[in-house]
Amino acid sequence: MLEIRDLHASVADKPILKGLNLTVNPGEVHAIMGPNGSGKSTLANVLSGRDNYEITGGEALFEGKSLADLEPEERAQAGLFLAFQYPVEIPGVSNMEFLKAALESVRGAQGKEEWDSVTLLRKAREACKQVSLDASFLKRGVNEGFSGGEKKRNEIMQMMLMEPKLALLDETDSGLDIDALQVVAKGVNSLRSPERGIVLVTHYQRLLDYIVPDFVHVLYNGQIIKSGGKELALELEQKGYGWLTGEEESA
Amino acid sequence: MSLALDLKTQTLASARRLAGDSADLGALEAISFPERKTERWKYTSLQALADGHLNAVASGELSQPLPALSEFVVTITNGILSSSTLPDGVSLKQESPTVNGLETPFAVYNSAVAQPVVLEVAANTRIEQPIHVQIQSASDVPAHCNPRVVVQLNNGAEATVIEHIHAEGQSLTNAVTALITADNATLTHYRLQGEHASTLYIGTLVIDQQGVSTVNSYQLMTGNRLRRNDVHALVSKSGAELNMKGIFVVRDKSHVDNQICVEHSVPNCESDQNFKGLAGESGKAVFNGRIHIHPGASGTNAELSNKNLLLNAGAEINTKPELEIYNDDVKCAHGTTVGQLDPIQQFYLQSRGIPAAEAKRMLSLGFVNELLMSLPHEKVAEWAQPWLEAELTHASPAGDAA
Repeated sequence: MLEIRDLHASVADKPILKGLNLTVNPGEVHAIMGPNGSGKSTLANVLSGRDNYEITGGEALFEGKSLADLEPEERAQAGLFLAFQYPVEIPGVSNMEFLKAALESVRGAQGKEEWDSVTLLRKAREACKQVSLDASFLKRGVNEGFSGGEKKRNEIMQMMLMEPKLALLDETDSGLDIDALQVVAKGVNSLRSPERGIVLVTHYQRLLDYIVPDFVHVLYNGQIIKSGGKELALELEQKGYGWLTGEEESA
Repeated sequence: MSLALDLKTQTLASARRLAGDSADLGALEAISFPERKTERWKYTSLQALADGHLNAVASGELSQPLPALSEFVVTITNGILSSSTLPDGVSLKQESPTVNGLETPFAVYNSAVAQPVVLEVAANTRIEQPIHVQIQSASDVPAHCNPRVVVQLNNGAEATVIEHIHAEGQSLTNAVTALITADNATLTHYRLQGEHASTLYIGTLVIDQQGVSTVNSYQLMTGNRLRRNDVHALVSKSGAELNMKGIFVVRDKSHVDNQICVEHSVPNCESDQNFKGLAGESGKAVFNGRIHIHPGASGTNAELSNKNLLLNAGAEINTKPELEIYNDDVKCAHGTTVGQLDPIQQFYLQSRGIPAAEAKRMLSLGFVNELLMSLPHEKVAEWAQPWLEAELTHASPAGDAA
């Protein structure tokens, strides 16, 4: 469903991705790991269509369509979901109002049945419960005054409602304590299905204790330099990245 | 002849026609109309009045009546009282007490010619339902009207007044509104200004807190060809409290100029001004918030905030806090900002499938939502929300990414 071929991308004219290849099929969970500055977040941002992240070569196809041709909202409508590393606070726009607008647009575009406000509220409350977020958060401004963990759980709650075909999680584990990590992992695992692809971008192996990937890739200097199964993550945990990159690990 | 002199000649001639040759027009004769360089009128051109609005009095009818936001409605059409239904405890007179704090030549002209509508709330009376004062005007040709509304709360009175201004065609509403409160009075005042874009409004709102009273004033407005609001608040008895909140939205080529002056002349009063402005297309907004703390007004706590959002290049907002403080022992906080829609917020909404134009609308509305949500009367909030929402949506620039 996601086919990335020789992708080159720049941020503010600085080349970050330098010939990246990746194929994600339905039902697969991929983890993309790598040291800081290797291009992990850039990949997530490029795929979701953020401004200033420019594709300069190669292509990224989602179900055969070039993502570069689609606006960010069209990518979401096509079934792509990005869980942000730093979810954005939007005071004055309530979480519920936001979900309603997002779901109307995405479900409409996908030809799914429209949820009336009662159904939407029920579904939203269920999703909140699954990520241990109090339903009162639905009335608050989007991420407004949420703690780091609450923001991440809010991302997963949205993802559960949006039912994407492909979910990209950008460092969703960063800043989470172990309890929150388990809650988030439970939410993601509940979405695993034969029709859905999941890409986890992460610096640390610990998330992969809870969400076990089918494939692990190491991103370095804008390219995937090694791919393997879940055991690769364990090897990275023990050895660091240095044996692959030829550099001393600084962190 | 300059426009300023023209306006003076026109208003004097009009005053003689309307008030009679024997009327005392001394105050009008003594005052000058603003010149292009007059500081207080720096950002508002009166050139539109060259069309001759002040030469004729408006006499048209609205295309459709305003909705009643309460059981109790007072309607003033083209400056003249046309109907009223009032609750017990509120009396209507047509003789105006002296209104303090009127300074603009337009207000002075209004004083000379207006047929005032004075609503007096009896002492120690609580009026549950709001009184909806509809100030309406229409004219196919350039013409004006001079509505004058005085709301007087006696000792211990409590009331809510919705001042609702509407105009169509080429009408200029030259208004004076005065809110006068005695000791222990509590007044909630709404000002809803959503006239047609082709009309003009020049008005002074006086808030005269003669007693230890609380006034909460919510001022919601869209722009039109020319809107000039002078708000002059006189906080003149120790212990009085004034809260003003406002939203102004200018789209297309519309204009709003708010000149607010809060005067603290006695110790231990509180005032708060919190206005939010939005400008899109070639809209232009002006906000001047002045706090004047006189000698002896120690223990004053005065705040002023004006945050603005520019929706695109080409829109303009001029905002200025102006503090004049003759006292050490006061708290006076102020802040004015002009910003743009946050591209990261917009991307976040779009990344969830919300189209760009809708994302912008949501963010614009979100910017003023906090204020809208705080409106204490449900009927007003129900009316105001879709009105402002429509204003934020209707004028999305053509070619804007959808």
